[in-house]
Amino acid sequence: MSSVTQIAPTPVAPVVTRPTRRRRVRKAAWNLLGVIVFLVMVFPVYWMIATAFKPGHDILSYTPQWIPTHPTLSNFHDATHMPFFWDAAKNSLIVVSIVVALSLVLAFLAALALAKFRFYGRRPFIVLILGVQMVPLAALIIPLYIMMSRLNDVKGVNHVLGVDKLGGVIAMYLTFVLPFAVWTLRGFLLGVPKELEESAMVDGTTRFGAFVRILLPLVGPGLVATSIFAFIQAWNEFIIAYVFLHTPQKQTLMVWLASFTTLRGTDWGPLMAGATLCSLPVIVFFLLVQRRIAFGLTAGAVKG
Amino acid sequence: MSRLAPEGAVASVAESEFTLASRRRRRFTRHRLGHIAAPYALLAPAAAVIGVILAYPMYQLVRMSFQKYGLFELIRHKGRWIGTANYASIFNDAEFWRVVLRTVAFTAVCVSLTMVAGTAIALLLLQVSRVVRIALTTGLVLVWSMPVIVAVDIWRWMVDYEFGVANWTLTKLHVGNFVRHDWFANPWTGFGVFTLLIVWGAIPFVAITVYAGLAQVPQELLEAAEIDGARPWAVFREVTLPLLKPIFVILTSLSIIWDFQVFQQIWVMLDARPTSDYYTMAIYAFHQSFQISEYGLGAAIAVVMVLFMFAATLVYLRQMLKAGEVH
Amino acid sequence: MAEIQFIHVSKVYGGDTPAVRDLNLEVNEGEFVVLVGPSGCGKTTALRMVAGLEEITEGEIRIGDRVVNDLPPRERDIAMVFQNYALYPHKSVYENLAFGLRMRKVPKAEQKRRVEEIARVLGLGEMLNRRPAQLSGGQRQRVAMGRAIVREPKAFLMDEPLSNLDAKLRVQMRAEIARIQQALKVTTVYVTHDQVEAMTMGDRVAVMRDGKLQQVDTPQRLYDAPANLFVASFVGSPPMNLFEAGVRRDNGRLLCRVGDSQFELPADLAAARPALGEYAGRRIAVGIRPEDVREASGWDGARLRGRILLVESLGSEQLVHIEIAAAPLERSDLVDIAAQPPGSSLGVGELEQAVTLLGRFDRHLLLSPGEAVEVAIDPRLLHFFDLETGVAVPSAVDAPVAAGVAG
Repeated sequence: MSSVTQIAPTPVAPVVTRPTRRRRVRKAAWNLLGVIVFLVMVFPVYWMIATAFKPGHDILSYTPQWIPTHPTLSNFHDATHMPFFWDAAKNSLIVVSIVVALSLVLAFLAALALAKFRFYGRRPFIVLILGVQMVPLAALIIPLYIMMSRLNDVKGVNHVLGVDKLGGVIAMYLTFVLPFAVWTLRGFLLGVPKELEESAMVDGTTRFGAFVRILLPLVGPGLVATSIFAFIQAWNEFIIAYVFLHTPQKQTLMVWLASFTTLRGTDWGPLMAGATLCSLPVIVFFLLVQRRIAFGLTAGAVKG
Repeated sequence: MSRLAPEGAVASVAESEFTLASRRRRRFTRHRLGHIAAPYALLAPAAAVIGVILAYPMYQLVRMSFQKYGLFELIRHKGRWIGTANYASIFNDAEFWRVVLRTVAFTAVCVSLTMVAGTAIALLLLQVSRVVRIALTTGLVLVWSMPVIVAVDIWRWMVDYEFGVANWTLTKLHVGNFVRHDWFANPWTGFGVFTLLIVWGAIPFVAITVYAGLAQVPQELLEAAEIDGARPWAVFREVTLPLLKPIFVILTSLSIIWDFQVFQQIWVMLDARPTSDYYTMAIYAFHQSFQISEYGLGAAIAVVMVLFMFAATLVYLRQMLKAGEVH
Repeated sequence: MAEIQFIHVSKVYGGDTPAVRDLNLEVNEGEFVVLVGPSGCGKTTALRMVAGLEEITEGEIRIGDRVVNDLPPRERDIAMVFQNYALYPHKSVYENLAFGLRMRKVPKAEQKRRVEEIARVLGLGEMLNRRPAQLSGGQRQRVAMGRAIVREPKAFLMDEPLSNLDAKLRVQMRAEIARIQQALKVTTVYVTHDQVEAMTMGDRVAVMRDGKLQQVDTPQRLYDAPANLFVASFVGSPPMNLFEAGVRRDNGRLLCRVGDSQFELPADLAAARPALGEYAGRRIAVGIRPEDVREASGWDGARLRGRILLVESLGSEQLVHIEIAAAPLERSDLVDIAAQPPGSSLGVGELEQAVTLLGRFDRHLLLSPGEAVEVAIDPRLLHFFDLETGVAVPSAVDAPVAAGVAG
């Protein structure tokens, strides 16, 4: 018996085991639950978009119109022709692009120091970086306001920084974006194996050359993720813009959106159209980086 | 060649053996110095920005909390030192303690609901088939990406007293008569809406992060536990949960910090005119400073708020540093 | 303790090519069977189906007298040792060892007694309070073994348990596992890609390739009578020399032609392998183990002339690479490619058709590369395989029923 080797396929009716019925029922139940959760979570977003495309009489109906059967773009027309919409859009773009550019440069330099050098004060700085993320914005608003209002009186600075100046808002956004950006980029830089740089240096490049040719391309995704994060933060921010920007021409989109009601009562159609427009860029960018952000936080956390 | 590069230094030394000894010493010290200074130079810009716009105001905040700082002082740019009077006044204010209690309770409810629902959805993601999983994750990301102000507007529209979809649905489901029901007339139902709004907005982050964590739990460990005789719930309790503990700690402390300073949702939803029933600590501090112009009092409230959040911050810091060191 | 049976077991992932095809294998009570094969051959899948970690697409698996197809792992009463040990990182060594007992509601006192005894036997007594991260590779390996043993299961399943250890420790743990298994007499299925491990540890070895079982046998029989070209090339280190030869009948004698040399296949060999006669006038695959290749002086047998390419000293002997004129096997898909020597692809050969013959020579022979050399081969030690199917030419005495390699 022991030396017998089985001959090639013996055609005996095979015992076929399919997943049991109970298992299939259970799977279907889970899927059903998943679909329900999906619908519940997504409904508010759907409701915003659906309302944005409905004509006024379908919106103001005591029985909800679940599907926009008479789709119209008039709400979008109304929203974009509201006063200051284009000012706000322009301001948001200015603020966001400057914040992204500056935070990327500053965060990258700082992350480089934290990831690639051992130096006195490194750990305190990391603690600081993590700690300031926790400082409540609502608490800092008060002294920041005092500080900015003081800058309004300082000649030479006061046309950039201060209350009601985009520069002031940009500086504050930059500060609140930096800690996370530094932390994320540090993670990306640490992920680059030291051997890669060393082998480049052995192959004859300088430390700077190794940096440009090896490090930069490898942390590219990190830079993209970080800049999108900065974009979303700056785009979505409300409190600072609300407190510091008074003149309607200088407000950002979120402030514009929040003041929608007070301008004209509540006109739900254009409001939802405006909300849709304001969230569109964020949705696009979020879908691009969602994995990275979640994995960035958990990387290395699950280990013994 | 770059001055920073060690190869550059060594190569030029080799070229002229003549002054080898002396030049090597000089080059090396200069190079050494550059190496020591480099990290500080790299950090400086970011540190400067954080210092000016975070550290200094933080210091200012604490200072102001010991000062009389009203409109007059604002114009003069100089507060008047009054010791602990601001703190005495808020601690003796029954309203303040109501606000604290309300904020703590609201945070507790929101954080626990967020964590439980988020974890449940993460586990659900493991059970469903591929198509449902992709749909659900995309839906979560969609919700995640809603700017807070947009979310507030959506929910305001959904709970509108006249044409809101919530009132109609609840009436149809015979939960009660919700025709022209104003959710914000009663702070309990009002905070109910805020809880839903905040939990709805926070679930995606928790669910997706926990799901990412679950994906990192080594499969063999779960298999080993299964072979060791553990039932699914025991596998979760004995293996998955302890392994994900760092993630739960980080998420919980972050949620506490975010929910404790809740401001914009309430502020925007109630048209910047919340009644005192809706005051949370952040709104109370804001109200004291910017509406009553008692900046000193507002600062004192803010300092107390920061202290409240300090415990959560410490836990978060510890865990993040631990996780960061794994690299 | 129980026997394990695979009965026409197949596994298909997502409708593609099967990972395991129609596997029939019986592991007797208390037996140590090693599943071995190159990566992707389906050995791990087969093991995981026994454990209940993989669904069985077709066929059935029995442990003892129970069909376990639909039983969850916890009800199969088996223990598994994983490739990277799968120790619970957040639990101490004690808790790791006791976990299985705790899950099975063994009383606390009994748990403690058994864990402590196992820890003593395995030399883990001092480490019960440590976490896995604080242990060395060898100690982790022992804890993983201990966790399996402490439950006193019906069978051990081991999935490449030694592959994460360094070479020295691996040899040591190999002996230790074999010793433990012999002492406990627990039915064991052991998966490895390392044929040395398979040969040294198993009571029987099952060689798999592309989801199909090639041969199951004792290590010695596997070595002496490989059922096909794949097994011949996979088992043994250095591997068997394989090349093509022509067979011809001349005046009732069978002649074998390798390159330009020709020798007679003695009558007793032809009698032992009657099927060999059918190959008269055809080509055949011939194999010879390196230790059966000898330097010609002082030996009888067929002579082959060659040139030394390389001499590797192994201390006790030397491994000599000799280029001879012979046709290499064309069907490389029939053999284990990883085991084949580089051959004339090195580009040093002047011959049109050359094969590198590995020989294990006495260490006292003075040989140097480039030298011409004559080797002697005893035709009775040759292995013969069909060129098309790869199946060994059967022996009349103990005809192994062989499976084709292709398919």
